[in-house]
Amino acid sequence: MPKIESTENMLYGLLGRKISDDELVDIFPVAKAELDGHDTKEGILKIELNDTNRPDLWSPAGVARALRTYETGKIPGYGFFSTKDDEKPSDGRTVIDDESAIGIRDYSIGFAAKGQTVTEDMLLTLIQSQEKLCFNFGRKRKTIALGIYRSDLIKYPVHYAAVDPDKTSFVPLGMDEELTLREICEKHPKGKEYGYIVSSFPRFPYLYDDDNETLSFPPVINSARIGAVKVGDTDLFVELSGPILDDLLLAASILACDMADMGFEILPVKVKFAKDTKYGREITVPYYFQEPVHASTALIAKKLGLELSTDDCIAALGRMGVKAVADGDGVTITVPEYRNDFLHAVDIAEDVMIGYGLDRFEPVMPSDFTIGRLSPAEEFSRKVKEILVGLGFQEMMYNYLGSRKEYVENMHVSDEDAVFIANPMSENYEVIRPSVLPCLLESESVSGHAVYPHNIFEIGKIAVKDASDNSGTVTKNSLGLFSSDVQVGYNDAASYINTLMYFLRKDYTLEEVSGDERFIPGRAAWIVVDGKRVGLFGETHPQVLESWGCSMPAIMAEIDLDKLI
Amino acid sequence: MDIDVKNLHPLEVRLLRHVSLGEDITPEAIIDELGYKVGQSNQAFSWLMGKGFVKEKSRSTKVSYELTDFGRKEQEEGLPAERIFRFLKENGPHSLPEIASALSLENSDVGSAYGLLSSKKVLAMDGDKKAQAVADSLPADVLLQRALLDKAVKAGSLDDESLSAEERKAIGALAKKRGAQNSAFRTVDRDLIVYVLTEDGDRAKKALLDANITGEELGVLTPQMIQSGSWKNGTFRPYGINAPTSRLIPGRRNAYSSYLQWVKDKLIALGFEEFDGPLVENEFWNGDALFMPQFHSARDIHDVYYVKDPVHCREIEEPWLSQVARTHEDGWKTGSRGWGYTFDHEFTRRQVLRSQGTVLSAHQLTKAKVPGKYFGVVRCFRYDQVDATHGADFYQTEGIVLGNDVNLRNLLGLLKMFAEEIAGAEEVKYVPGYFPFTEPSIEVHIKHPVLGWFELGGSGIFRPEVTEALGIDVPVLAWGLGIDRMALMHLGLNDLRELFTPDIESVRTRRGN
Repeated sequence: MPKIESTENMLYGLLGRKISDDELVDIFPVAKAELDGHDTKEGILKIELNDTNRPDLWSPAGVARALRTYETGKIPGYGFFSTKDDEKPSDGRTVIDDESAIGIRDYSIGFAAKGQTVTEDMLLTLIQSQEKLCFNFGRKRKTIALGIYRSDLIKYPVHYAAVDPDKTSFVPLGMDEELTLREICEKHPKGKEYGYIVSSFPRFPYLYDDDNETLSFPPVINSARIGAVKVGDTDLFVELSGPILDDLLLAASILACDMADMGFEILPVKVKFAKDTKYGREITVPYYFQEPVHASTALIAKKLGLELSTDDCIAALGRMGVKAVADGDGVTITVPEYRNDFLHAVDIAEDVMIGYGLDRFEPVMPSDFTIGRLSPAEEFSRKVKEILVGLGFQEMMYNYLGSRKEYVENMHVSDEDAVFIANPMSENYEVIRPSVLPCLLESESVSGHAVYPHNIFEIGKIAVKDASDNSGTVTKNSLGLFSSDVQVGYNDAASYINTLMYFLRKDYTLEEVSGDERFIPGRAAWIVVDGKRVGLFGETHPQVLESWGCSMPAIMAEIDLDKLI
Repeated sequence: MDIDVKNLHPLEVRLLRHVSLGEDITPEAIIDELGYKVGQSNQAFSWLMGKGFVKEKSRSTKVSYELTDFGRKEQEEGLPAERIFRFLKENGPHSLPEIASALSLENSDVGSAYGLLSSKKVLAMDGDKKAQAVADSLPADVLLQRALLDKAVKAGSLDDESLSAEERKAIGALAKKRGAQNSAFRTVDRDLIVYVLTEDGDRAKKALLDANITGEELGVLTPQMIQSGSWKNGTFRPYGINAPTSRLIPGRRNAYSSYLQWVKDKLIALGFEEFDGPLVENEFWNGDALFMPQFHSARDIHDVYYVKDPVHCREIEEPWLSQVARTHEDGWKTGSRGWGYTFDHEFTRRQVLRSQGTVLSAHQLTKAKVPGKYFGVVRCFRYDQVDATHGADFYQTEGIVLGNDVNLRNLLGLLKMFAEEIAGAEEVKYVPGYFPFTEPSIEVHIKHPVLGWFELGGSGIFRPEVTEALGIDVPVLAWGLGIDRMALMHLGLNDLRELFTPDIESVRTRRGN
């Protein structure tokens, strides 16, 4: 969930009034926001935004816009958007995408802004928006990289191309010396962080102006001159690059609306693409690309369980900043410039719900009759647990992930059946347990202080490879049983198993286990039911006990319950 | 002082009743008069001292000589000197080895006895180096030893103070303090303690008399007492009900598991049927089927555990694969515009560890009945640093409700039912939420009597992109409950890792509230 910070001044200013924390807590749900903290000494509000499909809310301006609109019902208007048929003047401001970038990072778009002086507060807010849009929405810059530049230093048109990373060099932000693009990937902190996104390509994306002065090496780092926005600047250029055009356009629209709310005049920029797009070869940014969406009042009523009139819906949507008109059997909305989350009519229904007020929907109990039922595995497990508890065993519960040392090496078994993780976070959690027994032995190894005997068991899942399954693995419900004491042996294990199987009404025979290094040879047996091996038990081999650092004799058993149900 | 005499042991009771204020009390007298064994007497005095009912008046050391088994044998068969003297009198002269052999004595014993008797002119060697008796009777000190043995055999021991100076000298040759197995007597030093009753003890005695407690009350009830009916002739001694108890280690359910079982039973009672599934999933069910775009940030390599081998499952079941793929791309016929990207048919087969319980809800849709209510308490894996609030794997409690007419208001009703029945909530608050697979989405916050306000769970109505692509054409309510927090509260814990602790002692002693 994205989290943002805002100064009190910034949020209250954008909202047009001071607002108490209690009021914020009450109204925040309309933006799916939560007040995460308020540092009154520093005057900083911390806000968490829960809707990962609403990047427009991840800024003080976006949050303030949602609250303002909800309170006043007045939908904000932004006049600087071009559409396919209505192109706003770009006055010679142009970005030209070169075909060399296609397949690497297809698109670069931009817009400019002026008429407001960048303050410290504003600069931090813009950097935060850039961060949220690129990191959360732009998947850590993979699909969106966003740079802000000093437009007064730029000679249009701006060029976007893919270039030879060893022959192109500039002074990156935060350094004094000129480095090639490849050197930046190797030496600059941002290069080390984001260089991987492009470093497998023969050519790297590069943004420069008509005087061949560098703007940036997207998605990695700006130049130290044009790309260094400071407090006091008044003229800005915003550029976004990435492989998905709609995401870039939306991010540009969001930032443009935010900056307009902060007092900037937005200046459109013409973008010439290197290939055909669904909006043509040339568009003017900020660009309104969203399509109208329709929802019938019947659908809204079916989802929400309340018959709302068209007017109710239009008013509710208005409070959400969504322009709607009565249309046929329902309403048709004009999607706000800064949103693109209406995939289906149900998305309109949710905005109606929030705009109408969730507290106005009275809870109703579902009335369908259905039969409650436990899974067969759960029902059988309970039977087994009852018997084992009666035999004096303590039920345990364990994590299912562990290390090779625990599940393989300490057990003196092969790893061929174990299901390993390809990207473990640590070697402590690198494999799903192939058996309950190592977990029981771990208990033994950490419980020397506990009064003996140790009689413990767990019924839980294990996973092992199984070529016959579609996944090549199988998950089983497994019973593991373990007992240790000064004197305990095969006969004890055999008696426990015999008692358990008697009460489960399972006739069984035994076959000697051979070649299983977990058990003392000649003191372990397979349990065979209807000709199938369902489990085994025996005396724990001292080499296993030694590997676990245990010094009490022990017996153990493991049974595949799925074969007994 | 209020004296509770009911808790006195019969040994104490009988002793107290037997003695009077001001008189000297000795263990010897108690042993003698009450028939106590030495150990019983010691216990009784020790307990009464501890309670302050008797106190020590004086203490002295008494020396006595206990007859050993060896001594008993000598008393019976004769001292070596006596036996040799008698043998020679009856059988005439013999050499010392002949005597030893005839009497089964050690040569050394025969030697020393001969030495003693010859010095007293009782025995002498003849010309053939054979011993012969030359006097009519044994010397006085041997006779004295005989007298001591005869005297001691009756009482078992002799008190030092009862001996004459001569006897004391004689017994010195027969007695040893340690290693006395080859001596006739063992010297024993014994503390002689004299006790007296205290004022409290006297009050206790009176209380016993008043309560008519005799110390003859019945103790442990035995099968013999029941069979013979002997218990009918007595009264039972009351026991100290607050005596310390001994530790028992019972067979027991795990407290967390019991809690989960309780939650399952609640859900069963509310008409839900349990589902379950494998730990290894694929991207299709773990994300695609839930309409999470394949580029969604929660599907990153840093959020999901990938299976090393096999990397991919063989196939995804049709028609679900085609329908879901189309839905992602352009909405298929669900009424959605879709995500507008090209569905990756290889990525969708990539195997992962189940990262959310909703996966099983998606599976269930393909085999669900309408109307239907289903739930699962299922283990999930999330790529997270393990700490007090994040486990490598954990349980999620999730479910769905299918019905022709289920809607938002039913969802709110369902959440209210959970809040009240499972969480014991006092107040319920709903706020809009966000989940990629539901629209609308609702979070339910509850006011718990102990925990205060917290988020109980997330829920919503499955998006048509989820349900219709999986063949369901009725609305489906989906919900998940965060019961871990309540489980921790229930168990008095504050660290999620504790729920799965391997520590046996900790699990043995853990209790739910």
